[in-house]
Amino acid sequence: MSTSGQSSQNVWVGIDIGGTFTDFVIYSSSDQSLQRFKILSTPADPAEAVLQGLAQLPHHPGRHVVHGSTVATNAILERKGARTALITTKGFRDVLHIGRQNRPELYDLFPVISPPLVPREWSFEISERVDCKGNILTPLQDQGLPPILEMLRNDGIQSVAVSLLFSFVNPTHEQWLTKRLRDEGFFVTGSSEILPEFREYERTSTTVVNAYVSPVLDTYLGRLEREMKPTEFHIVQSNGGRISVAQARGHGVRSILSGPAGGVVGARYLAGLAGFTRILTYDMGGTSTDVALVHEAIHVTTEATVGGNPIRVPVIDMHTVGAGGGSLATVDAGGNLRVGPQSAGAQPGPVCYGRGGIIPTVTDAHVVLGRLPIDGFLGGRMRLNVEAAQQAFDEVSRQMVLAPRSGLDVRQTLALGMIQIANVHMERALRVISVERGEDPRETVLVAFGGAGGLHACDLARALGIPHVLVSPMAATLSALGMLAAEVQLDYVQTVMLPGNTPFEIIEQDLQREGVDPDLWVLSRTVDVRYVGQSFDLAVPLTSMFCEEFHRIHHARYGYSQPETPIEIVNVRVRAVGHVTPPTIPTRPLGSADPTAAQWEDRPVVLPQGIQPVPHYWGARLRPGHEVNGPAILVLDDTTIYLGPTDHAEVDTYSNILIQVGVTDG
Amino acid sequence: MDDPIRTEMMKHRLVSVAEEMGARLQRAAFSPNIKERCDFSCAVFDASGNLVAQAAHIPVHLGAMPLSVQACLESLMLAPGDVAMVNDPYRGGTHLPDLTVVSPVFVEGMASPILLGVVANRAHHADMGGMSAGSMPLSQEIFQEGLIIPPVKLMMSDQKNDDIWRMLLANVRTPEERMGDLQAQLAANQIGGERMRAMAERFGVQPLLAEMDALLRYSERMTRQLISTLPNGCYCFEDALDNDGFTGKPAVIRVAIMIEDEQVTVDFSETDTQRPGSINAVYPVTLSAVAYVFRCVLGLDIPANSGCLRPIQIIAPEGTLVNARRPAAVAAGNVETSQRIVDVLLGALAQACPDRIPAASQGTMNNLTIGGWDQRHNRPFAYYETIGGGIGAGPQSNGASGRHSHMTNTLNTPVEAVEYAYPFRIARYALRQKSGGNGRYQGGEGIVRTYEFLQSAEVTLLSDRRVTRPYGLEGGAPGQPGHNRMKQNGEEQDVPGKCSFPVEAGDELTIETPGGGGYGIK
Repeated sequence: MSTSGQSSQNVWVGIDIGGTFTDFVIYSSSDQSLQRFKILSTPADPAEAVLQGLAQLPHHPGRHVVHGSTVATNAILERKGARTALITTKGFRDVLHIGRQNRPELYDLFPVISPPLVPREWSFEISERVDCKGNILTPLQDQGLPPILEMLRNDGIQSVAVSLLFSFVNPTHEQWLTKRLRDEGFFVTGSSEILPEFREYERTSTTVVNAYVSPVLDTYLGRLEREMKPTEFHIVQSNGGRISVAQARGHGVRSILSGPAGGVVGARYLAGLAGFTRILTYDMGGTSTDVALVHEAIHVTTEATVGGNPIRVPVIDMHTVGAGGGSLATVDAGGNLRVGPQSAGAQPGPVCYGRGGIIPTVTDAHVVLGRLPIDGFLGGRMRLNVEAAQQAFDEVSRQMVLAPRSGLDVRQTLALGMIQIANVHMERALRVISVERGEDPRETVLVAFGGAGGLHACDLARALGIPHVLVSPMAATLSALGMLAAEVQLDYVQTVMLPGNTPFEIIEQDLQREGVDPDLWVLSRTVDVRYVGQSFDLAVPLTSMFCEEFHRIHHARYGYSQPETPIEIVNVRVRAVGHVTPPTIPTRPLGSADPTAAQWEDRPVVLPQGIQPVPHYWGARLRPGHEVNGPAILVLDDTTIYLGPTDHAEVDTYSNILIQVGVTDG
Repeated sequence: MDDPIRTEMMKHRLVSVAEEMGARLQRAAFSPNIKERCDFSCAVFDASGNLVAQAAHIPVHLGAMPLSVQACLESLMLAPGDVAMVNDPYRGGTHLPDLTVVSPVFVEGMASPILLGVVANRAHHADMGGMSAGSMPLSQEIFQEGLIIPPVKLMMSDQKNDDIWRMLLANVRTPEERMGDLQAQLAANQIGGERMRAMAERFGVQPLLAEMDALLRYSERMTRQLISTLPNGCYCFEDALDNDGFTGKPAVIRVAIMIEDEQVTVDFSETDTQRPGSINAVYPVTLSAVAYVFRCVLGLDIPANSGCLRPIQIIAPEGTLVNARRPAAVAAGNVETSQRIVDVLLGALAQACPDRIPAASQGTMNNLTIGGWDQRHNRPFAYYETIGGGIGAGPQSNGASGRHSHMTNTLNTPVEAVEYAYPFRIARYALRQKSGGNGRYQGGEGIVRTYEFLQSAEVTLLSDRRVTRPYGLEGGAPGQPGHNRMKQNGEEQDVPGKCSFPVEAGDELTIETPGGGGYGIK
């Protein structure tokens, strides 16, 4: 292909594999049409649903598929990766077993450490040593390799990770080993290829994760590619960017958290169209809630952990809390009401689903409060059992001493309390992702998606001083849409410990392989800087003013700076972005502000100040220009929005619901 | 009556204040000890100095911090904009490197500002002066250990108290690093104070104060209820530290735990008297160890605050190993004796509830300090680290290997980070095979760590369980004791558990840490 864009006469398909549904968004660049559909996921073989869905589409020779894969993540969580071995510098084979020598929980007398992906018997040492300047202290003893090769073969090892000390300064030894092992037919990952960055445990862990998942991902992608031909095929990486399958295959670690990435990319894109570039994404699901920060770019971190294994490649900085629609109410030994982290999950689900659940969930609380209409759920296809939910609350209230709030009965008080406690959990997550990252939530817009988000978004925004909430009509397939909006994005890092440069040719080659038009590349260089003697660093854009910028950011983030203290450059990072033309989202002109045409009926709803009749609206009948004053309930196809008494919603030209959040809740 | 919804909400809000402080302290700090090893704690206190909420940081700080805060509140007239600091172990501290920064949080009142509460954090500084770099010496009185800071004002009306800063920085080996870390400690309290004031504005001062009280009662209720699940009775146990580094004989800690319905009495009356060496624990350390053990045994879910300690009475006569009298040396009391106090408490409770108690873990932190003049960078250096070991096996599981146990949970300093920053290298860092005690369930393995010196330096070791061994339970074998040795000019020799000695370029020090005890008969 000659250009990266969707501008040519192509069909683009974004596919997101979720636990229950696999979502498809299809964009045709010729007529700018956008279609969406869902089919049931096939967890035993996720490719099955992908192929089924694609089979429903008319074949198109120029078809591109962009896909977020959970195969690599599942390989780790289910421990179903390749048989992997590790080779380290002599004296350090236990690097994964010791880790950082801490235990995961402080107050646990029986700490459980998740076993490393490579068992001890497959961890090997080779005699060699390079110092921190790259000098060779002990030459590599190549006679040490043949016995290792023999053991690798005898044990049926498929994949080998090689991680030698200071290989990021001088990779000679590591490169010699990786070449020999590749010649022998193993799948090989060298630590200096995947992460030329200091801190041996994290680098080794990242290398091993890559070695462990890449062969599995390779098999999966190979199958899809064979069966989908001649479709062009791309993968969304954990950093929210897209890469071609050819590149994804050897670098499984880069797509390990690609599942949730699509939603953030989609939220960023839709919010950007609506004019917002500083957003907090808020994805409330059944068992947990994911939040992320976008300030122009999506905020990424290199401090992620998957199944107990640190991975130091850039991933979207997402914070997750165990509070969702299915979170359960319990009473603890001190008499407090707790919400989550236990969840009713998909089975039995909330009590009001009538599938055998008996402990009330957050969803049940909304039903009891009248905020989730029992006949409007999933477009009215599933009627909710409010009586069962009420009885479940009565059961919980018998286990505690609770004075009802004025105007409410005990079960309503309890249900409202549940919502408030769930909100505290989510508020905390939003604070972590904004305040702790140096971002003021009051200057952001909260973009809510996921089934349950619309019922909490206004209260959360109010608690954090966030002035606006945005809910997209495409909320339910946002992740698949995001796949199509994802830009080509490649990240590079090199530890330098002084000023240094990054091999530009490699970046150029990689981008050419992505088929990105050179005019559409943007390279951004950042340096990780710290004061000499400090042990963590701050990322600063590399300009002639980077020193001043470092002091400024340090002061903003930590409340002090020391301009007189010398600084050093720890890492150099380069991000190459190839811009794509994202799908066009249909617009309609703004019409009348009067939403009467969308009005359903008034029903009693529990508000903070008591019960009162509250107008309900059909989301599907809301039109651009309509304005709705709170209190109100907006019933959309895949989500329900609760507007508090002081909130005010408007429908914009993209049919987004943009809510101006009131300062007080009543 | 406490409201089960409001209390639950405030619990999370207050803990998140402490967590946010911790995130900022770690990010902003200068030294590896705080940033890489996370050797710090942050907490929120009420106006009387009761700990109300703490983030899950270092257990040894939990019981002790309130006493530091109380010492500052009692001896200083703190006004808005003031910040106090203290490290005096005899004024609520633990040992001198642990420096606590205490900020009162005021809100506007009708007539005068109202003290809403206090935010404080404690961080282990890599050097506080004294006879050895790292301030973890083989001392015989506290004056040798470093600069003793009684409660003093670090800030007055938002201005630096320059005299105090100059005084402090003149007495430490690495003043720039100290200044960076102290700035970070101030920054952490600053964000904590802002959050507390914002909460007072949002919920009202009186409701916030009321909920802080409710949270203490809540933890107390939970603790009492869980204590009542333990069988009534008196349970005794004793175990010993190898020695104090000066006199060879073991230092014995004896405890009797009386459980009576919802109350516990922990009696250390029979414990040995304090020693010339630095293994003496000040009372706050003992309190922390007791708090840690009961928190663990009773369950993971009790919010750590002063309410947890109300049902627990401690008898610790002054002048003993568990309540040292000034001017006893205390550097190792916090890091070594605290571990043995945990061992004896768990040993006693194993008789009350064997199904909840593991065999002994390594029982030491293997404190190593290396200091001197860095010829490469032409500046002084002071390096401090502790090394993990074996965890004791439990009634249903093997012990974890190569981990820190009980009163500490600090991270290691990466081998590559060490080599960039200091004039020595790590030559080996591995699990120590066959060091865990045998049993139906196996004790965890210790660690072997070898240091290769690139130039002359001074090394101080404070380690224990080199003679006594981590006990097994229910017939399980004890773990292997630790072992320290030096290689100089090709000759290898053993090094005692507690000692201080010079090293030259080319020398190699190897530390083998103890394995955990086994559980049950194989």
